[in-house]
Amino acid sequence: MIKRTPLFAGLSLLIGTVVACSNPTDPDSSEAASPEQRVLTLYSSRHYDSDKTLYELFENETGVDIQVRESGASQLLETLRSEGDQSPADLVIAADAGSLWRFKDAGLTQPLQSEALAAAIPATFRESSGHWFGLARRLRGVAYDPSRWAAEDFAQWGALASEDKAGEICVRASSNIYNLSLMAEVIERLGADAAQSWATAIVGNMARSPQGGDTDQIRAIAAGECSIAIVNHYYWIRLATSASANDQNVAASTAFTVPEFTEGSGSHVNITGVAVTTAADDLALAEEFIAFLLSEQGQSYLTTETKELPLLDTSPAPAGVEQVPAFVASDTPLDVFGENQAEAQRLFDLAGWN
Amino acid sequence: MRGVISWRLPSATALPALLVIFMVTLPVCTALFAGLTVGGGSTWDHIFTNRLLPYTATTIFVLVLSALLMLAFPVPAAWLVSRYEFPGRRFFSWALILPLAMPGYVMAYAWADLAASPGPLQSALRDATGWSARDYWFPNVSSAPGLAFVLASTLFPYVYITARTAFSMQTSTTLDAAKSLGANAWERFWRVGLPVAIPAICGGLCLALMEAAADYGAADFLGVQTLGVGIIRSWNSFGEPNTAARLALALIMIAGAFFFAAQYLQGRGGTQHTGSKWQTPKRGRLSARHSAIATLLCTLLLLICFFAPVSRLIWLSLETRASAADLVPLLRATLILSSLGTGFALIAAFVFTLAAKNDGGLRFGTRLAAAAGYAAPGAVLGLGAVYILRETGQALSASIAILLLLWIYVSRFTSAGVEPLNATLDRLPRNLDNAARSLGSGRLARIWRIDLPLLAPGTFAAALILFVEILKELPATLMLRPTGWDTLAVRAHAYASDERFAQAMLPSLLIVLAGLAPVLLLSWRLSHSERQP
Repeated sequence: MIKRTPLFAGLSLLIGTVVACSNPTDPDSSEAASPEQRVLTLYSSRHYDSDKTLYELFENETGVDIQVRESGASQLLETLRSEGDQSPADLVIAADAGSLWRFKDAGLTQPLQSEALAAAIPATFRESSGHWFGLARRLRGVAYDPSRWAAEDFAQWGALASEDKAGEICVRASSNIYNLSLMAEVIERLGADAAQSWATAIVGNMARSPQGGDTDQIRAIAAGECSIAIVNHYYWIRLATSASANDQNVAASTAFTVPEFTEGSGSHVNITGVAVTTAADDLALAEEFIAFLLSEQGQSYLTTETKELPLLDTSPAPAGVEQVPAFVASDTPLDVFGENQAEAQRLFDLAGWN
Repeated sequence: MRGVISWRLPSATALPALLVIFMVTLPVCTALFAGLTVGGGSTWDHIFTNRLLPYTATTIFVLVLSALLMLAFPVPAAWLVSRYEFPGRRFFSWALILPLAMPGYVMAYAWADLAASPGPLQSALRDATGWSARDYWFPNVSSAPGLAFVLASTLFPYVYITARTAFSMQTSTTLDAAKSLGANAWERFWRVGLPVAIPAICGGLCLALMEAAADYGAADFLGVQTLGVGIIRSWNSFGEPNTAARLALALIMIAGAFFFAAQYLQGRGGTQHTGSKWQTPKRGRLSARHSAIATLLCTLLLLICFFAPVSRLIWLSLETRASAADLVPLLRATLILSSLGTGFALIAAFVFTLAAKNDGGLRFGTRLAAAAGYAAPGAVLGLGAVYILRETGQALSASIAILLLLWIYVSRFTSAGVEPLNATLDRLPRNLDNAARSLGSGRLARIWRIDLPLLAPGTFAAALILFVEILKELPATLMLRPTGWDTLAVRAHAYASDERFAQAMLPSLLIVLAGLAPVLLLSWRLSHSERQP
């Protein structure tokens, strides 16, 4: 082992040096900061450059140092669980209420009592005791070929199960959180048996096995492989506002609508939201940051690139989103998306929806 | 190979090996232990009753089909390249290794886009024929056979490299004898060349299949329900990482079956001729027709598995005018992590190889340990690391996160480093060691003065393979990297999971480019060593 001892020592030294001195994106590591420097650590499942700009704005305004760890929501949850009270995380930002519920259910979030936030956010879009708060809205709806169908053909989700849609539907895999949350609300509205029959009928109407993302389903309509796709609104808007002429043509040859569950029940609206972790100790700072995200400036940066809808109707919507048809949000408490999530996957599995 | 397994107290040199076996297997064992001991609950009942069989059947189907693909085309290509002269032979002999630089998930992005109904191939077909998208059948990449094709196209170089090396090392005596006995070219390949090369080919194939078994990115993107996808699904949709770990056990058992099959085949395969007077045979000439077929085979292989998908990536990056400015920190993080990971994995591979050299039991044990890590999906190893962290009460600080990540790299990839080292060792004459021993050299002195210098060529190959593998690693890096340490793979995945493929293309392309340099070096090195045996 003569050879290896110096090699080991050398490598350990190298790692020590690398870890200590070189944070590839941020040369001023947090240790270098002054002791009174306030730090806010975010765990985020979003990966948008505009989010980074937004965080920098807050840093510049307040002098707070924002640290971000981006990963998938499930991975962030395991990391948080491992770190426990020692976690550096103050806030978790995750797309989908189902994900936020999972953090709450694991006991990783704490209630933030804030009259200002409670007054600003409609009750549907925040957890009743303050475990999470909505930041932006997202709609799951139906994209279709307007030469074959009209918006009225998809007034309710049940319409996708009818026989005249045989061989026409394109949709992504069932394990995707958007499908799980939609199914969770179908279960809540119609019951498990009806939900499973609905999913089974959709599987029978599929033009191809579930594959790709939402954008791929819209493209498949334009290519003529199917004429109906279940997609989130912002994928369609992104195609419509894309720099590529090809993408614009895809959006132009399709239309988008937002079905209800039963007549007058309202539509499936999900959120991107934020939760305060149990490890956070500066709750005032957390509240200040959340309020900043809900400010006009915050809402604008959160939605301009993603094409989500701002949480508040009073905030201006990003370019392109005006093409989304008018809708009424369902009043199902969003925690249901999380509570029914495992059941949703089980029913999808039984229905043969891969 | 020495198949005798002897049991005795570990010697001084065996201790480091046992320690490294412990290190390499701890993450996977922790995850499996947690999976088996913590109750599976209703989720496990559901998966066991409804999903386990389909997941397993799909996984085995994909693995078998990709194995057939990797044998059917790359092995004949390796034979032709090492035995015959034909137009482009020199180019093909090294270029056929290039697909190794493509991660499976990037190959999946590229081919799913190329072959989808809105993609360029089908669009061209519709334009040419006037058909609509439902008027014709077209191969679907988003299917189990499609996944097998994608995995085979990125992993076949493992089979190609080992096959080519084995064919090049064959002495002319046996082949000449076969020729003089009237065997035609086909019979010389099928009845003489191939059987002798089977152990080497099996080693390469085993490595490729274990890598394929651990795939998550490509299968998930293509929507194929393999065990790898089931593992992540039970974690993401059901929120039960323990169920995920249980499914990982099924995956590791499948990979274990491949491992033992390869061991068996390697053990009973033909032996290499090791006489001192062996010479590499001159390459034969092919008729014009056969030359054309050989060139066509190699061209198609390279076009389908490398140039077409890479061109598509370049096209998409250019079309969207993606900016490369903020990719520099990613590249830096990627290179630092890959280099450090390579260093540690190489040390582990050295310890394994040297300890196994004279000890059948250790040889088996080290190979099994390396294989267990290699077959485990990165996400499961990451989970094991997080459990270990939880048990020891440590916080995931930046330095601990990097150490954990490097540990997982070692656990996952040591196998890829052990194979080239073993291949080098197998070729060395035993009597060197005996001669040194008779001259009174101690064991450590023999390692220092004989083994390490002789292993140098294998070390180089091992380091390059490790570097490329770690460069492409996604799930564990995604889980464990500290803030500010995003790698190219992490960024490409982040964009792709947000369905921003245009933006995902540039980091994907950079992964391929960063992997290309080591792959080219490896290729040059292999050709070089074959010319000067």
